[in-house]
Amino acid sequence: MSARDKILSKLRAALDEGDATVKARSAAAQARIRTAKQTGPIPKIARTDGMDRVNQFVERAEAVQATVRRIATIEELPGAVSDELRRRNLPAALRMGDDAMLASLDWGAVETSVGPGRLEEPVTLTAAVGGVSETGTLVFRSGPDAPSSLNFLGEAHFVVLRARDIEAGLEGLWRKFRDSGADPRTVNLITGPSRTGDIEQKIELGAHGPVALQIFLIDDY
Amino acid sequence: MTAEPKSSQFKSAASEALQNPRLQAAMKASGGLAVRRAAAIAEIPEFEAIRDAGRDLKNHTLANLDAYLLAFEEKALESGAKVHWAADAEEARAIILKIVGRHAKGPEGKARVNKGKSMISEEIGLNSALEAAGHHVLETDLGEYIIQLRGEPPSHIIAPAAHVSKPDVEADFRAAHTHLDPERTFPDAASLVHEARHVLREQYFGADVGITGANMLIAETGQGVIVTNEGNGDLSQILPDVHIAVASLEKVIPTLDDASTILRLLARSATGQSLSSYTTFYKGARRQGDLDGPKEMHFVLLDNGRSEMLAGEFREMLRCIRCGACMNNCPVYRAVGGHSYGWVYVGPMGSVLTPNFVGIKEGRHLPNASTFCGRCQEVCPVRIPLPGLMRKLREAEFEQKLSPQTARYGLGVWRWFAKRPALYHRMSSIGMRALNWLSGGHGRLKRLPFGGGWTAHRDFPAPAKRTFMAEWKARKAAKSQGDDQ
Repeated sequence: MSARDKILSKLRAALDEGDATVKARSAAAQARIRTAKQTGPIPKIARTDGMDRVNQFVERAEAVQATVRRIATIEELPGAVSDELRRRNLPAALRMGDDAMLASLDWGAVETSVGPGRLEEPVTLTAAVGGVSETGTLVFRSGPDAPSSLNFLGEAHFVVLRARDIEAGLEGLWRKFRDSGADPRTVNLITGPSRTGDIEQKIELGAHGPVALQIFLIDDY
Repeated sequence: MTAEPKSSQFKSAASEALQNPRLQAAMKASGGLAVRRAAAIAEIPEFEAIRDAGRDLKNHTLANLDAYLLAFEEKALESGAKVHWAADAEEARAIILKIVGRHAKGPEGKARVNKGKSMISEEIGLNSALEAAGHHVLETDLGEYIIQLRGEPPSHIIAPAAHVSKPDVEADFRAAHTHLDPERTFPDAASLVHEARHVLREQYFGADVGITGANMLIAETGQGVIVTNEGNGDLSQILPDVHIAVASLEKVIPTLDDASTILRLLARSATGQSLSSYTTFYKGARRQGDLDGPKEMHFVLLDNGRSEMLAGEFREMLRCIRCGACMNNCPVYRAVGGHSYGWVYVGPMGSVLTPNFVGIKEGRHLPNASTFCGRCQEVCPVRIPLPGLMRKLREAEFEQKLSPQTARYGLGVWRWFAKRPALYHRMSSIGMRALNWLSGGHGRLKRLPFGGGWTAHRDFPAPAKRTFMAEWKARKAAKSQGDDQ
């Protein structure tokens, strides 16, 4: 008997009783998966709306040491990025994915290169597909235009996010993925820069991932 | 066979831990997690209701576990992942060794393996098996990296180096990173974190295989979920050509919405964050056009005793989401540290899991190392009745005649008296008077005949002046006198 069959038969021996049969359990599981409805309470902080939602996102992102710069339109992004690179004494170079929206912008003197993350990566720029107001979280999906490694290998991780893409809580996010049929290989939820408490429980930023997380928030809500 | 347990030596290990000033200082320095948890929970008034939902969703999943595992497997296969089932630690190691061996790019078939922190891999003794086969294993979580340098097991499920002080880490880094300037200084923890970042960054590239655990498996989508704060788990699974995620059976949950509930409980209970820095949902291998991600993705589903727990009276323990809140809030764990427990899982959750996984004979001291103060149950995000489960293990220990002769004899003596109430009352009031006399009226005893094991570390409280029955009688008499007047 294969390990799979052995394990399943042991589980079934433990669970089979009265009406609890393999068939009944399979039906119960399929029903819950099909309806995929929220089973736990949604906390108040995950039910914000309008500008409250955006403001809470900013507040919570800053509470976990992300920094947020608000801009009016996507066209303002290169100027804001360039300014931020200067302010942080970073080289005027960005690593990004093969993203049509980012490629269409005029980067001026800022050198841009396209590809996955490399060993030394001072600054990466990626586009978040969403945000979560509940926790100040950024949402990324992987794809040819968005290699996941760019979210982890930059010393500084620059992120562009549209305010209208901010969901109140995790529920909105799942709904959006299901409704759009998007089925990416990787979904990264990122809440603040990398950190560790492994040395005497003192929180230090930049354990392996980015030391800084800079969000450019397009206020088009 | 799983990782070699040393739980039968709990008593001597705990005694040594209490006398070890470096450990005591490190434990004192690591007290912040319980405080941060309390602050994070105070922020959301709905937390208690979310705990109920977490308990219910885990109960539901466990009651239908075969169905959810099959649903997960189907979706995972659809996404191009491979799914392996392992009945025990040996099977899991064999599966992983085979995959690693196939992808080894080093000379003589030796592979470079990067690992994210995984308690399951500790449970199955994976590192020593990989090393015995000649492969090079690198732990990438900072805490795990530190204990790997020290050749020690973890002492906490989310803060594996909780027992190590900063000067010790500094000494370990100097000994290991000999290619760096020996004159360099480490003024603060940040300088150590920076050095580890620098040293490990190079090793992320060039690994053949990445092995991580999984915090959850989603039946709805076939995704695995990994939660970290450092980002090491992600780098370990994105950069090598092969990713192996090893997860025990009870990690499966039904849907993404159920994941929301678990995520709302997990980080708050573990570190007092509303969400850890990195929560990643992944499925299958790299796709057409992708510039990174593993070319092969494997899930290893491990039973290793879970199906027995599902069948018996310890099913509730399978709700555990490995947050560590029970140990952070346990007075015994805080005093003796994780290594005293002698196996992979420590603190109250370990005191239930270890006897279940390695046998009551080996693990029998652990459920006894509890004051039953109940704090672990109070903080458990999925409401596992930990003291109740430990009590069941104590009963099993007694029934299997594993408790020591003196304890069994003592209980026998007590039973003999308890069956004779008049004698019992007389003897207990004599005993109480004697103890009060010994305490010199201070209300506590610094030394106790035959009780040195207790009084070596704390005072023994002196009993009340008289027995409950005597007090009851006296009050009743006084009351009836009052009524007569």
